[in-house]
Amino acid sequence: MAQYSARLDEVFGALSDPTRRLVIGELGRGPATVGDLARSSTMTLPSFMKHIRMLESSGLIHTAKRGRVRTCSLNRERLAVVDGWLAEQRTIWESRTDRLERFVTTPKESSS
Amino acid sequence: MNPDLDLTLDRIIRAPRSVVWDAWTDPTSLASWWLPEPLQCRVERLDTIPGGAFVTSMSEDGIKFAPHVDACFLMVDVGERIVFTNAVDSQWRPATPEPVTMTAEIVMRDHPDGTEFRAIVRHRDPAARTLHEQLGFFDGWGTVTDQLARFVER
Repeated sequence: MAQYSARLDEVFGALSDPTRRLVIGELGRGPATVGDLARSSTMTLPSFMKHIRMLESSGLIHTAKRGRVRTCSLNRERLAVVDGWLAEQRTIWESRTDRLERFVTTPKESSS
Repeated sequence: MNPDLDLTLDRIIRAPRSVVWDAWTDPTSLASWWLPEPLQCRVERLDTIPGGAFVTSMSEDGIKFAPHVDACFLMVDVGERIVFTNAVDSQWRPATPEPVTMTAEIVMRDHPDGTEFRAIVRHRDPAARTLHEQLGFFDGWGTVTDQLARFVER
């Protein structure tokens, strides 16, 4: 319970800033690199990275580093937390089933 | 079914039932879809028999893994149905998992287009829901969510 409440605090805290909402909006169109995201902002890269880190620790976005490039992607499951408890569970199961469906309908690399 | 506590999800999956079943019950296959990318999943235990352990962990960097699911199977009808709960952990110890306690029933049936897939997820008590209510979620947050969804999907 305490953990759940802390998670809500984090998500709403993360959404309380216009720069971070802008990033969420950008990522809604698909994954993007930190460099691309920072270009649409006037702030310095270190300040911008603070926003990225906060979004990441709230779980609203995932980031992955490949070489020198860090790519961000939106975590829709976490975004569903604002919609309430049962809706969040539904989103988790919907996305899970999407991934299962993709897994069983995508030809394996060996056979393609 | 209690609509305030439970959810049902129906889907027609365009793949044979045996393929969907294997995707669920083969540890390597399960690990590749159970968590959203870029999170990595490790399937620690997957004993698909009644009472069997279901344990997964997750990682952001592929090095440090944190617990994800610690549950046990209640019922397994091979090729047709899987029921598991996290109200009892893989050691059969009564558990209070965060954030929700649930029993999930996965049913697969043959369908002309592949597999009729249904998930029924039953939740225990609305403690988390009550928290949302206390915070006033049901009064104003629905609108916020609509706006947010439009914002994200524009």
